[in-house]
Amino acid sequence: MTRTTQITIFVVLLALLSLFYQGLWGDPRHIPPVLVDTPAPVFEGPDVESGEPLSSEQYKGKVILVNFWASWCQECKVEHENLLRLYEEFKDHPEFVMLGINYQDEIPKARAYLQRYGSSFPHMQDVKGALAIDFGVYGVPETFVIDRQGIIRHKWIGPIVDNVYTNLTQNVLTPLLSDPTPPRQGSGQTT
Amino acid sequence: MFRLVPILIILCFVFPTAGLAEVVDETEIDQQVREIAKTLRCTVCQTENIWESGAPLAHQMREAVRERVRQGQSAEEIRAYFHSRYGDYIMMEPPKQGVNWLIWVAPFLLLFGGGILLWREVKGWVTRTPAPQPPPALDETSRRRIERELHQDKLE
Amino acid sequence: MIIEIGHFSAVIALVLAVFGIASSGLALRTHNADWVRAGRMALTLIFILLAVGMAALIYSFLARDFSVHYVATNSNSQLPLFYTIAAVWGGHEGSLLLWVFILSTFSTIAVWLHWRTQPAIMPYLIGMECLVILGFLLLILFLSSPFDRLIPAPPDGKDLNPLLQDPAMVMHPPMLYMGYVGFSIPFSFAMAALLSGRLGEEWIKVTQRWTIFAWVCLTTGILLGGYWAYYELGWGGYWGWDPVENASFMPWLVGTAFLHSVMVQEKRKMFKVWNLFLIIVTFSLSLIGTFLVRSGVLTSVHTFATDPERGLYILIFVTTIIGIAFGSLMLRANKLKSQIEMDSMVSRESVFLFNNLFFLVATATVFLGTLYPLMIETWQGAKVTVGPPYYNAVFMPIALGLLFLMGVGPYIPWRKASQASLKKNFLIPVGVGVVSIVVLFALGIRSLFALTGAFVVGFSGAAILIDVGKISSLYARRDSINLLKGFLSAFTANQRRYSGLVTHVGVLVLVIGIIASTVYQTEKVVSLRVGDEFVIDDYRVKLERIHDVRGKNWTAQEGVFEVYEGNTLLTKLRPQKRVYDASQTPTTESAIYAKNMGHIFLTMPDVSADGVAVARGVINPLILWVWGGGGIMGLGVLLNIFRPRKRDE
Repeated sequence: MTRTTQITIFVVLLALLSLFYQGLWGDPRHIPPVLVDTPAPVFEGPDVESGEPLSSEQYKGKVILVNFWASWCQECKVEHENLLRLYEEFKDHPEFVMLGINYQDEIPKARAYLQRYGSSFPHMQDVKGALAIDFGVYGVPETFVIDRQGIIRHKWIGPIVDNVYTNLTQNVLTPLLSDPTPPRQGSGQTT
Repeated sequence: MFRLVPILIILCFVFPTAGLAEVVDETEIDQQVREIAKTLRCTVCQTENIWESGAPLAHQMREAVRERVRQGQSAEEIRAYFHSRYGDYIMMEPPKQGVNWLIWVAPFLLLFGGGILLWREVKGWVTRTPAPQPPPALDETSRRRIERELHQDKLE
Repeated sequence: MIIEIGHFSAVIALVLAVFGIASSGLALRTHNADWVRAGRMALTLIFILLAVGMAALIYSFLARDFSVHYVATNSNSQLPLFYTIAAVWGGHEGSLLLWVFILSTFSTIAVWLHWRTQPAIMPYLIGMECLVILGFLLLILFLSSPFDRLIPAPPDGKDLNPLLQDPAMVMHPPMLYMGYVGFSIPFSFAMAALLSGRLGEEWIKVTQRWTIFAWVCLTTGILLGGYWAYYELGWGGYWGWDPVENASFMPWLVGTAFLHSVMVQEKRKMFKVWNLFLIIVTFSLSLIGTFLVRSGVLTSVHTFATDPERGLYILIFVTTIIGIAFGSLMLRANKLKSQIEMDSMVSRESVFLFNNLFFLVATATVFLGTLYPLMIETWQGAKVTVGPPYYNAVFMPIALGLLFLMGVGPYIPWRKASQASLKKNFLIPVGVGVVSIVVLFALGIRSLFALTGAFVVGFSGAAILIDVGKISSLYARRDSINLLKGFLSAFTANQRRYSGLVTHVGVLVLVIGIIASTVYQTEKVVSLRVGDEFVIDDYRVKLERIHDVRGKNWTAQEGVFEVYEGNTLLTKLRPQKRVYDASQTPTTESAIYAKNMGHIFLTMPDVSADGVAVARGVINPLILWVWGGGGIMGLGVLLNIFRPRKRDE
C-alpha cells in the first residue's frame, strides 16, 4: 500500500467522521426558510369565529404577524398563552396586526379550542390548506412576520416560547414597528 | 308480511345504486396530477413523494397541484411554484445546477477514472509478468485427455 | 423480577466482555493457552447470559408486563401473539439486544467450530468479537436499555407501530442482523490475519462459508424488507431508496464484491490487501449503517427515536472499530506486497477487478446519495432531497454494467483468454442479446432501460445456458447417460461453480422482475361508489360493497372489489382502510391477486362519509419474478454451503 493510498484512506475517513459528528448536532426540523425576504402571498378566507371574510387587502401597509395553528396540535397549546401575551404587548400600536390561520382543522373544534384557551386577535380558516402551501408551511405551529411593504421578514417553525418569544418581540417586531424604513432583518432560526 | 319489510328496505338500497352504477375512469387531469405529484416530495414525510404519501399535507399538496392543473398551468410552472415555496427540498431529486452537479456526475467520473487507473495498473502487471513458456507439442490422445481435464478444472 | 434477571445477565455479560478482551490480550502476551480457554469460556457465558436477557425480554412481552418501559411502548394487551414476538425487536432498544445476541451466538459458534483447526487465530477472534459485543452492550445498558422499569406501570401498552404488525417484520430484522453480524466473523478472521501476520489464504478458506451465509442472510433480510414495503406501505413498490434501505444495501454491495474477489486470492494468491480492505469496508458499512439509522443524522421513515448523546456514543464506538481496522491495515499492508502475476488483460482475474470496481462505484453512488442531504446541510445550511429518480438515473446504468460483467466473468478463463476462445464463447450470447432487443422492440417496448436490460439478461442467460448445456453433454457422453443425468453429475462434480451460476440465474430472474414491474407498471386512481367499476389494463374492477370489519386489535372499512377479465370473475379483492385501536393510527391494507406472474394490487386509501371510495389499482407485471429470483439466489447459496467437501478445501 503506497503512502498516497494511505493518506487518501485516512483523509476520506476523517472527512466522513467529521461529517457525521457535525450531523449529530443538526436540528432535523431545521428547514431553511426560502420565503423570507420575498413578498408575502395574498390571503383571504372566513373568520373562524364569526365567519366574516378576512383578507390581506385590509391589512395592507401594516406589520402583520401570522401564526399557523390547529386544535389537534400539542405545541400550539404550549405557545398559545404567549401569543395572547404578545398581542397584548403590541395591540396598541396602530400599525400592528396579528392573525391566526387555522390549519387542517374542523371549525367546531377550532372554535372550542379558542373558547377554551382564549382568543383576542382574529383567526382565519384555511381548511383546504392551500394557503399553508402558499406560505411554504411544513406543520404547525409556524409563525411569520410581514413588514409594511408586504415582504416576509421572519419565519419561525415551532412554538413561540422562552427566548424565541424574546427574539421575536425585541429583535423582529419592535424594530419593524418603530422604524418607518426598517433595516433588513435576517431570517429566523437564530435563537 | 313482516318478513317482507327488511327485503323492501334492502331493495331500496340496492336499486338506486344499481341504477346509477357507471364506469369511472381517470381524467386527463388526474394523470397530469399523478405525473407532477410523483416528482414532489412530501415535506413532512421521509423521502416519499406526495403521490404515494398518506400524510394530510401530502393530500393538500395533491389538491393544490390539481387546482393548478385545472387552471391550465404546465407541469413546469407547478413545480416552479412549489419550488418557490419550499426550495430544493421539495424536489424528489436535486436540481441539476451548481454544486448539485457533483452527485450527478461523481459516480460516472469515479467509474471512468477508476476504470482508466485500473486498466493502466493491470497493464503494468501484465508487462511485468514474464510470458509463459509455450507448451511442448502433444500427441492427439493426451491432448484430448488434458483438454477434458482442463475443462473440468477450469470450471472450478 | 424476570426483567431484572435479564438486566443483571446483560450486566454480567458486559463484565465478561471486558474480561474476554483482557484475556485475549494476556493470551497474546504470555502465550499461555489457559488465557485463550478463559476467553472462550467468557464468550460462551456471554452467549448464555444474553440468551437469558433475550428470554427475559420475550417473557415480559408475552406476560404483557407493562411495568417494563420497552414493553409498554411497543406492545399492547390486544396485540396478537405473533406480532408480540415481532415487537421484541420492533423498537430501538430491543433490536439492539437482538443484534448483540446474534453477535454473541455467531462468535461462540465460530470459536467452538474453528477451535482445533485455528488455534493461533483464537485470541484475536475472541478479542475482536468481545470488543464489538462490549461496544453494543455499553450502548444497550447505558443509553438504550430495554430492561428499564416504568413505575407506575400503565394499565395498557401503547402498541406496536401498526405498520410493523406484519408477518415479514417478524423475520426481517433478525435476517438483516444475521447478515450484518455474520460479516463480523470473516472480519475478525481478517483482523486476526492482519495482526498476527498470517497473511495467507487460510482465513479466506476458513471463512468462505461464513461469508456466504452472511450474504444470504443479508440478501433475504433486504428482500423481506422489500416484501414488507410492498404489502404494507400500499403504494405498490418495494424499494424506495430510503436511507435505512440504503444502509442495508451498502454492506450487501461491498460484501458481494468481497465474495467474488476472494476467489482470486484462493486461485491465484493475489489481491491480499484488497480482500482485507473489502471485508473491513463491508463490516464498517454495517456499523456505519447502524449509526446512520439510530443516531438521527438522517431522517427516514424507519428511523428510531434519537438523541445526540446516543448518536455521539455510537459514533465513538464505530470510529474505534473502524480506526483499529483501517489502522492495522495501513500499518501491516506493506508486508503484504503479494506478487501479482497477470498474463493478460483479458482474464478472469481482471474481470473480477472490474467487477469490484463496479461494485464499489455502485456503493459509492448509494453512499453519496444517502449522505448528500447531510453534506449540503452541513456546508450550506440548505436542504435537498435525493429520491428514487436520482438512483434510477445514476445507479441503474452502473447496475446494468455489473450484470454484463456477471455474464462475461465465468466464461473468461483464469490467466489468459485467447481471441479464439472469446469469439467462441461470446458469439452466441451476444447474438441472443441482440435478438432479445429486436424482439422486445418489435413488441413495442421502447424504454432504453428495458432494452439495455434485455440485452444484458439475454447475453448472460445465454452464456449460462450454453455453458450448462456443454458440460452436461460432455458428462453425458463420457458416462453414456442422458443429458439430465449428465447435468446432475456435472453439477455435483463442480458444485461450487454451478451453485454460483444458480445464484446468477436468480439475479437475472430478479432483474427481469424489477425491470418489468417498474417500467411497465400501470396505475389508476379513481373515485367510485358501490356498483361503479373501472378498467385497468385488461381487467374490470367493480366495487361490490363496502362494509365494516373487526380484527383483533383494529377496525376497518373493507371494500369488496370484483375483478373481471372479460366477463369471467377472477377474484374478489378486499382492500381495507384500518384504524388500530390502541394508537388510533390508520393504515391502508392492500389486496393482491397474482396473475401471469404479475400482480393486480388494490388499495382503498379513502372512503368519504357519503360513500365515495377512492380506489387505487396497480398492475405490476412479472413482480413474482422479483421474489422468485430472490428464492433462486437463495437456493444457489444453499447448494454452495451444503456442497460436499473436496480434498483441497
